[in-house]
Amino acid sequence: MTIPHRSRGGLLAGRLLVCLGPGGVGKTTVSAALALGAAMAGRRVDVMTVDPAPRLLDALGLDPIDAAEPREVPLDDLHDAHDLPDLAGLFDLADGSNLRETSAVVSNVVDLAAARAGGGLGARGRPARRAGRLRAMRLDPKRTFDAIVARHAPSPAAADAIMQNRIYRNLSQALAGVGDYMAMERLLELSEEPATDLVVLDTPPAREALDFLDAPRRLLDLLNSRAVTLLGGGMRRGFSVVDLAARAVLSTFDRLTGLHLLGDVQAFVRSFDGMYAGFAERAARVQQLLVAADTAVVVVTTAEPERIAQTHEFLAALRKAGIEPRAVIVNRTLAATASAQRIARAPIAPALRHKLMRAAAEFAALHAREAAAIASLRAGGTAGLKLLAVPDLGGEPAQLADLARLGRSIATL
Amino acid sequence: MALARLILVTGKGGTGKSAVAAALALCLARRRPTVLVDLDQRMWAARMLGLVSDGRDAGDDRGPRGNGEAAIANPHATANPEAIANLETMSLSAATELEAFIERIVPIKAVARRMLQSRTFGYVSAALPGLEAFLMLERLRIIAGRAALEDRYAVVDAPASGSALELLSVPGALRQIAPLGTLNRLAANVESFLVDATRFAVMLTLTPQELALREALEASDVLRGRLGVSVAAAALNRVPHRLFNQRELDALDTYPEGALLARWRDGAGGFAARARREASRAGLGVIELPMLFSPAMGRAELQELSRALDARLFPPKSGKSAKSARSSESGKSAKPPTPARPPTFAKPARIASAVKLPGSAKFDRPQ
Repeated sequence: MTIPHRSRGGLLAGRLLVCLGPGGVGKTTVSAALALGAAMAGRRVDVMTVDPAPRLLDALGLDPIDAAEPREVPLDDLHDAHDLPDLAGLFDLADGSNLRETSAVVSNVVDLAAARAGGGLGARGRPARRAGRLRAMRLDPKRTFDAIVARHAPSPAAADAIMQNRIYRNLSQALAGVGDYMAMERLLELSEEPATDLVVLDTPPAREALDFLDAPRRLLDLLNSRAVTLLGGGMRRGFSVVDLAARAVLSTFDRLTGLHLLGDVQAFVRSFDGMYAGFAERAARVQQLLVAADTAVVVVTTAEPERIAQTHEFLAALRKAGIEPRAVIVNRTLAATASAQRIARAPIAPALRHKLMRAAAEFAALHAREAAAIASLRAGGTAGLKLLAVPDLGGEPAQLADLARLGRSIATL
Repeated sequence: MALARLILVTGKGGTGKSAVAAALALCLARRRPTVLVDLDQRMWAARMLGLVSDGRDAGDDRGPRGNGEAAIANPHATANPEAIANLETMSLSAATELEAFIERIVPIKAVARRMLQSRTFGYVSAALPGLEAFLMLERLRIIAGRAALEDRYAVVDAPASGSALELLSVPGALRQIAPLGTLNRLAANVESFLVDATRFAVMLTLTPQELALREALEASDVLRGRLGVSVAAAALNRVPHRLFNQRELDALDTYPEGALLARWRDGAGGFAARARREASRAGLGVIELPMLFSPAMGRAELQELSRALDARLFPPKSGKSAKSARSSESGKSAKPPTPARPPTFAKPARIASAVKLPGSAKFDRPQ
C-alpha cells in the first residue's frame, strides 16, 4: 500500500484546492476529508465548508451555530487512524485499473471491517508524521458581506445606509451570486494567511460550475459604473436604445407593480460606487488565484447518470473559463464485495449461501449501473484528468477518524 | 380526499427526485392526463422516461438571459402514443418566464426583444427580488388552474429542497417588499394557490439516510409551518426489502466477506424503519419505494415505482375497486379515485368524474 506522500503536483501539494460539483454528492465531506488528509501529511491547512451536515461539524469539532471563524481541529486523536488501513476501495480510474479488479480491495475492506469490529490490525509501519494542522470554518455569506461593507464603506453612515437598503437586506444572499462571491472573498483572506500552506474550499451546490467561479465578475457587472449611470438617471452619452428600453421597462414595472424598487436599486448600486475599485481589484486577484499553477480545481460527483451529465457540463464550463480541472472525484462508489465464486467456496449453510448469491447478483446489477455511469464519464472530456473513485462510507462520517481514512486514501492517489 | 392538481416533488439532492417525479407522473397518467413539468431544462425526469431525445440537449443552449433562442427552447412534446399516451412533458425556465413577462408588458415586440438582449437589463432584473422565481410560480399557478378545469394532473420535478423552499418563499417576501399594488395582488394570488391543498401540494423525497431524513423533516416544518403548504407525502425512496434475518447475520460472523455483503444489502433497511417512524411522528404520510437492484433506471423501473405510489395514493376501497386500480395499468382511464386513506390529502376534488378530453385541450405553454 502506498504511503501518503506529498509529491509536487499531487492534489494536496498546492496552495489552493477548490471542490466544485452538483448538490448532494458529498462535496463538503470530500473537501473536509482532503483537508484532513493534507493536514495529517504535515501541511498547515484551512478548510472552508459550505453548509456542512451537523455530524460533519461534529466530527470537525465546529459549533453548529457560529463557525464563521477558523477553528483548529484537534488531530491528536488520530493516532489510531494511522493504524487503520486506508479505505482502499479507491481506484484511480484513469490509470486503467477499474472497479472490477476487486480482490486486493476485498481483503482491505474486510480488514477494515474486522478492525472496526475490534479485532485490531497491528502496526502497519506508518511513517512518523510531521506536525500539520487543520483549521475548519463554515461560510456565512451574510456576515461576510456585512463585514466587507463595513470595512470598505467610506463612512459608518454609508455602511449603515447600505445595510438598511431593502435590496441589500432581501438580497444580500441571493443577489447575483453574493453567496458565491463571499466565498471568494473569504478565500482571498485565507490565502493571504502566512501561516497556512493550503486552503481547501468547498463551494455552494451549483447547477452550473460557473455560478461559483463567475461570481466576482457577475457582482462587478452589477456594480459597474455603466449600470450605475444607467440607473442613476439622466441622459448621458453612450446610451443605446436597448439601455433606454431597459430603463423604460423597469420604470413601467415599478409603476405597474407598486414596488418602487427602482429607487432602491439605484441607491444600492450607487452606494457601492466608492467601493467599486476595491471590489474590482479583489475580484481580479481571486481570478488570478483560480488559474494559478498551484491551484487545483476538482469536480466532485457521484456515479449517477444525471450527476455525470452535470459533471460534463461543469468540466466544459471550467475549460471555457480557462481553468483546467485537475481531477474528478466520484464519491460514494460501491465498495467491492465478495464475488459469487468466493461465496460458492465459503463455509456456510446452503440456504444462507443462496441468499448471499442473490445479494451478490443484486450488487452486480448496481455495480453495472455504476460502471455504465463511470464509462460515460470517461467517454466525454476527461482525457488528461485524474479520475478517482471514493467508496461509499455507508453514511456520513461521524468521527474524525473516518474522515481521516477517507482523506488519506484520496491523498495517496 | 383527493390529490392536489399540481404536485411539486423535491428533496435533498441525490434522493431520486427526478425518478420519483417521473414515477408519480406515470402513476397519475394512468388515471388522468398528466403533464410532467421540469424546472430544469435538462429535463431529467422526462429523459429517464425516454420522452426527451438527446438530440436537443437543452443544457447547451441556455445562453445568458435574453438570448433570443432560449425562449423557444421549451416544449418537448411527448411522442409516445401507446405506453404513456396520457403523459406530456414540458420544461419551464426562469429566463423564459421573464421573457414572456417582458413581452407582455412591452407592447412593441422589437423593443422587448432588444431589451432582453441587453446585458444591463440582465443585471438589473437579477437585482429585482425573486422576480424570476415568482414568474415561475405564477406559471405553475396557471398550469394548476388549467389542470383543474380539464381534470388533469401536473407533476413538477423541482430543484433540491433548499432551492425549492426559497422558491416557495418568494411570494411572501414579495408581498412584504411591495405592500401595495399590482405585484402585491399577483403575489397574493400565487400565495393563495400555494396554500390551497386542492391545487398545490409538495411531495418530499428522502432515502433511508440520516441527512436525507433530516432535510425532509426540516423541509416539512417550513412548508407546513411557515409557508402553509400542504405536504402530500414523503416518498421514502430506495428501501431494500429485508433479505437476511438476524440469525443469518449472526451466522455470517465467521465469514466476514459475506457479512459485509449482507450488511451492504440490507443496511439501509434498518434506518428505513427509523425514517418511517420519525416521518410519521412528524405527521408525514410515508410512501415507501423499493430499492431497485437493476442495472439501469429506465421506464420499466419507473413503472415499478409508479405502482408502489399508486398502491398508496389510490388504495383500493374494497375488493372490487382493487381490481380497477390494478387494471388501470393497461392505460385505460380508471374510475375516479376515492381512496380510503391516502397519506394526507386535500379536500374533495371539485371534479369527480373522468372526463374524456377534447383533442384540442392542451396545457398552457410558455410559447
